Amino acid sequence: MKTVGKMIGSRLSQLFIMIFVLSFFTFLLMKITPGDPIRSILKVDDVSVTTKKEEQLKKEYGFDEPILKQYGDWIINVAQFDLGESLISKKPVSELILERLPATLALAIGGLTVLFLISIPLGVISSLYENRWPDYISRWIALVGASIPSFWLGLLLMYFFSLKLQWLPMMGRGTFAHFILPSFTLGMAMAPMYISLLRERLITILQSPYIEAAKARGISKRRIVFFHALRGSLIPLVTMFGLSLGSLLGGLSVIEILFSWPGMGELIVQAVTQRDYPLIQGFIIVIGFLIVLTNLLVDLLYMVINPQIQQGKEARV
Amino acid sequence: MKESLLSIQNLSIRMIDDHQILLQNINLAVNKGEMVALIGESGSGKSLTARTVQGLLASNMMVTGHVFYQNNNLLSMGKRNHHQLLGSEIGSVFQDYRGSFTPFIKVGKQMVEAIRSHFSINKKEARELSLHVLEEIHLNSKQIFHSYPFQLSGGQVQRVAIGLALALKPKLLICDEITTALDVMSGETVLDAIEKVRKETGCAVLFITHDLVQAYKRTDRIYVMQKGKIVEEGSPVQIRCEHKHPYTKKLCSCLLSLPGEDHLQIIQGAQSV
Repeated sequence: MKTVGKMIGSRLSQLFIMIFVLSFFTFLLMKITPGDPIRSILKVDDVSVTTKKEEQLKKEYGFDEPILKQYGDWIINVAQFDLGESLISKKPVSELILERLPATLALAIGGLTVLFLISIPLGVISSLYENRWPDYISRWIALVGASIPSFWLGLLLMYFFSLKLQWLPMMGRGTFAHFILPSFTLGMAMAPMYISLLRERLITILQSPYIEAAKARGISKRRIVFFHALRGSLIPLVTMFGLSLGSLLGGLSVIEILFSWPGMGELIVQAVTQRDYPLIQGFIIVIGFLIVLTNLLVDLLYMVINPQIQQGKEARV
Repeated sequence: MKESLLSIQNLSIRMIDDHQILLQNINLAVNKGEMVALIGESGSGKSLTARTVQGLLASNMMVTGHVFYQNNNLLSMGKRNHHQLLGSEIGSVFQDYRGSFTPFIKVGKQMVEAIRSHFSINKKEARELSLHVLEEIHLNSKQIFHSYPFQLSGGQVQRVAIGLALALKPKLLICDEITTALDVMSGETVLDAIEKVRKETGCAVLFITHDLVQAYKRTDRIYVMQKGKIVEEGSPVQIRCEHKHPYTKKLCSCLLSLPGEDHLQIIQGAQSV
């Protein structure tokens, strides 16, 4: 238990450091890259742009202050749970994010479910029938999946299942049916890596002494694969999941835009093009928090999968 | 005439890819209730012979000959039927105690799983049987039952594996260098546990070792293996005193005997003068 407490403490301190560093550099980058939020605001308000008006707005939003001061003011507000207001829509950033977050999380969970449903059976079949036709088929699926970009797969699925067969809705969010195509696209985009990793890991583990000992005790093959071998193979998969969270979120944004899924991806792309600083910064804080939280869960999962880690020993799986 | 339990006849194994011969014309018999040693240096093919009986051979090996277990040829009976004999008919204890049990599942759970794989009893009954056999081999049953394998010492893990044999009551127990990774005292405790299993279940033991002293002290018959062949067979006395093969002779000459007490007194006397 001491180890668990220590780990949670360390992750939380990492969270603060990460959010501080990440938000500072994003803040800096946003300021030095071309583009001006004031122009976006004025364009949105449909007012002819005058230098005087521009100066006035800059003063109003504090953009004429030194960058460090601007950042300092912002981070002090964040410490008081105030993410500020969107420059464009004038709505509180927290409200805008909370409006979109459930849709993004739902799609992420859908994608992960599809990922598990595809990669675990294919990885297991591949390892059990190594270098035989079920393995070849599974590896072929993994190769095809890895070669097709997710947006292209999404377009293909839309073309066949929505346009031609008219089985599923093409875009938007509402019913369970709306959920299927974007979740499948996301899951399928991530699956190839997991299929290959699980296959390799299972092949190694199925030859390990403890599996042979289980066979020699007369344990059924099904139990050996699912209770002994699969659990031992999960560590690298969970590690990869923790590491690939960033790219998962990137992939999510593409899929959200493709399927007009009202999640955070669409919101953030708009915010970046309009240089809506408070919204971008708020988004980064929320994403950083989600990544650290998921990594904490990954660490806890390690301990459940392999209790040796709790004891501070290296796993021998 | 003793009843035959395991009879290996003309067993040869070679690699499919490079045709390397691993075992050549092995003939070996274990009768019911008998403890038979298979002795030889590392790489002589002892464990490979055992793995043939356990059905654990790699797929890139070509096997010829016969391995009869109670008159059924294990090599031709099909994987599924062979697998069904493991645990309840043919028990095993391995050299690598760290690999004897799955590291992230508690020992008790694995014992219950193995017992329930062979007997149609409920979890509670299997748990009671597990605790009972752990007590039988003088282990702190409750503590061991709730431990992970990595929390136990090598000797304890080996005794748990032997305890499982006590619960499953196999007719043949294959012990593959079970004391090699242990210190002398733990090794002796483990061997005592094997004696106990033999006494209680009447099972035969195929005892694979490279330690001639253990084989000499504990077994009824000894087979000597060298480079994939059985070079000599006989009772412990025959192997010790009437050996014919140069390898057995070399093996016996390597036996170190501790100086007796009389000898030590002479040495001490000489030093004090």
